[in-house]
Amino acid sequence: MIPLEHIVVLSVFLLSVGIYGVLTQRNAIRFLISIELILNAANINLIAFNKYLSTPDGLGQVFALLVVGVAAAASVVGLVLIIAIYRLKKSVFTDDFNLLKW
Amino acid sequence: MSVVVFYFLAFCIGASAVLSVTVRDVFHSAIWLTLTLLSIACLYFYLDAGFLGVIQILVYVGGIMTLFVFAIMLTARIGDRSIQQTNRQLWPGLLISAGAFTIMLKIILSGPWANLITLNPGIDLKVVGRALLTQYVLPFEFISIILLAALVGAIVIGKVKE
Repeated sequence: MIPLEHIVVLSVFLLSVGIYGVLTQRNAIRFLISIELILNAANINLIAFNKYLSTPDGLGQVFALLVVGVAAAASVVGLVLIIAIYRLKKSVFTDDFNLLKW
Repeated sequence: MSVVVFYFLAFCIGASAVLSVTVRDVFHSAIWLTLTLLSIACLYFYLDAGFLGVIQILVYVGGIMTLFVFAIMLTARIGDRSIQQTNRQLWPGLLISAGAFTIMLKIILSGPWANLITLNPGIDLKVVGRALLTQYVLPFEFISIILLAALVGAIVIGKVKE
């Protein structure tokens, strides 16, 4: 069996890629893609620890399921917001979203 | 054998995740994200969480990726090659994420991993379902409220006003 820390390192790598995407992308849709990567990194950790540490019930799997639900809700609302702002500003780039500024 | 499978899956996940935030075309980025999510589903199967793997394929690959593709199709002139996709914070962002990765890697590699490994003999779906509907029923209900709010909010925000 592979050591647990290798799975954790994989998840940390996925998290850093997501952070990089959130910090540098101009396009709001790619922003949401990066957020999905971060949430999946958290899920990999939950599943791996659930497998390797003997929890009596499937606590890690239950919470991974809940994270999937929250991620679905978040990306649905985010994409609808992007489409609504696109109708208003004709753009999906975050530099153009300055409606609440000035 | 199983070790090789894990490292192959890890390579698929890492490479396609990096490609999904670095390729120019947003549509290609969505395709690479689909490959990442499928590889993560395979990793769940590998870690004896078959139900989560099926849910991952159904919700992410079937649902969320369809939404992403729809959103990319509905917002025009973003797949154009001449438009810059990154903002001015490219190098600071790279530095911050690489620094965060190094710090977390140091912390992980210094942890006492050897004395806490007790392998779980595989959790079947019955246990997960019972835990979800008895002990963790409150978060379960919260998720249904969040999904209902997301549904109503998406309809209200996305509606075209006359």
